[in-house]
Amino acid sequence: MEIIMKKSISYSLIIGVLAITSAMFSSCEKVSPQGVLMGNTSVDDRVKQSLTNYSYIDVSMDKTLADTVKEYSFLVGSDSHITIDPGRLSEMLEVGMAHDDLFYCHLGDLADTKAEYYYNTGMALEWFKEKWMEKYATPVTDEATGEEMNYYIDKRTGAADTWQNFRVPFYPVVGNHDITHNGWALFCNLFKTSFYEFTVKVGNAFDRFIFLDSANGTLGNFQIEEIDNGVFQRDKKDIRNTFVFTHTNIFRPSYTEFASTYCREELYYLLDKLADWKTTIMFCGHVHAWDDRMFGGVRHITMPSMNFVDHPNGGDLIVRVTVKGDHECDVQPVGLYCKERSKEELNQLGYKTTTNSNDY
Amino acid sequence: MLLFAASTALAQYYSGEHTFDGENKNEVSASLTTGKNIIAGPCIGNTLHFKHYLNSHWSIDGGANLRYTKQLYSFKAKGEYHLKIKSFHMFASAEYLFNHYHMFNTNENVGNMSVRFERGYWDITLGGSLIGYNMMGDHYTEPITLTFGAHATLRPRTNKWNLGLLFRNYDDFYYENWNINWGLDFYWRFNPKFKLFGEFNIRPAGSMSQLASKYETTGKIGVIYRWK
Repeated sequence: MEIIMKKSISYSLIIGVLAITSAMFSSCEKVSPQGVLMGNTSVDDRVKQSLTNYSYIDVSMDKTLADTVKEYSFLVGSDSHITIDPGRLSEMLEVGMAHDDLFYCHLGDLADTKAEYYYNTGMALEWFKEKWMEKYATPVTDEATGEEMNYYIDKRTGAADTWQNFRVPFYPVVGNHDITHNGWALFCNLFKTSFYEFTVKVGNAFDRFIFLDSANGTLGNFQIEEIDNGVFQRDKKDIRNTFVFTHTNIFRPSYTEFASTYCREELYYLLDKLADWKTTIMFCGHVHAWDDRMFGGVRHITMPSMNFVDHPNGGDLIVRVTVKGDHECDVQPVGLYCKERSKEELNQLGYKTTTNSNDY
Repeated sequence: MLLFAASTALAQYYSGEHTFDGENKNEVSASLTTGKNIIAGPCIGNTLHFKHYLNSHWSIDGGANLRYTKQLYSFKAKGEYHLKIKSFHMFASAEYLFNHYHMFNTNENVGNMSVRFERGYWDITLGGSLIGYNMMGDHYTEPITLTFGAHATLRPRTNKWNLGLLFRNYDDFYYENWNINWGLDFYWRFNPKFKLFGEFNIRPAGSMSQLASKYETTGKIGVIYRWK
């Protein structure tokens, strides 16, 4: 009898182990469980690729404001988890354009890991680019012929490029949902880089915007080496404010949310580095919950998600930061209220969306 | 109040000998650890532990840790209660751990309470940790986090030698949130009073891509001496 009992316990354990293993190596739509073990890319791969393909600085992202402009604003949103309807992202961009916000930052988990959802995200950004170019970009005219050239100048910052290369000021970081199911290839196709910075020149001072890759829950060896080698100390400009954006949270709003996934020394390293940069505000996402606290002289804001699942009726899901001076910033909540639409409704409105990955 | 918590840090040290043997009431162990992590680079350090069995149920122990290049200095104290339930051994313990991360001028205080269940070839640990830290004049206490661990051995714990595999979110001198520590450990009892032990640990960084994002790799070797 005892032998039978022992055997049944052993079989139960084996079945349990097999069940957990098969669950880990099977696939689901929301997350890729095998990504927990193997992943498609590491943060080192992505940062190296970002630096190789792009460089962490793209000077076209730098913005110089007119001498008369003393303050400016930008929007920050997080965890849109776009599927069929990119409505909340489009609404964020529209709200920003109506207020003349200078640019838009997104804290990762842009779309929900499937190729077709990135297609829908890309379509929404293309739609926004047309609207944005119409409002803020002036085509250059050939003086000899008087014809418009395929060359545009940003009225507010002076940035200039062709239509194809003109980059609308939407700056995302990569999130954990952006890297599973080959998500990085899709994210990279749209945004090129996961590790970058730009500056905004106001008078003689510069505000610095740093975007870090923490999609794996870590900064990784290579990114830390680059930071330690002074990658964000370029030209030793007269930096007035530094704003840092990354996906993985440092602080945990409550015990019901996920804890930070940075290892202990990495966590202390990051907090120390933020203080060293004299960071004005550090923005994180990931946990889909609001948290706002000062730590070590740095304001840490953890953002709620802006997706339909968490907030079907909308609410104050993003923030507008108005930069007024040296460490003088107003952070105000901004409401997003659009409801999720079906594919048919979106098609009627003229959106191109897909549920077919072959369209991508 | 009775503080229940598992033997966690010393689990691998006393494989097969977690209980009072009725004779030797004291144990001391010394070990050398070396490795590399992505923040501090190569590191080397020493660890010292002392354990005293009050009786067959209760024990107390303390430990100190010096990681030179990492500039991590730690000490801890723990009380443990042992109960045999049929074929299981249950260990409940409460621990206080202090870490000073000199590189970041950070002091970390950790309280842990957990329970470990042990049989001949395996043990599992479940508990909770309260982690607080002070740096740059500010303090933050993280909401309570889960402590978990599993350990399986090739031979029964009473064997003279053993090899084991472990999976846990803590080690001798840290408690993490989600970050997992994968390890291979061994011991060889070459004398009733002496035991050689060692461990090889890999700590992946973050939560995704455990095989892709390395945080720390360490190797440890040490000796345990028991006496009356």
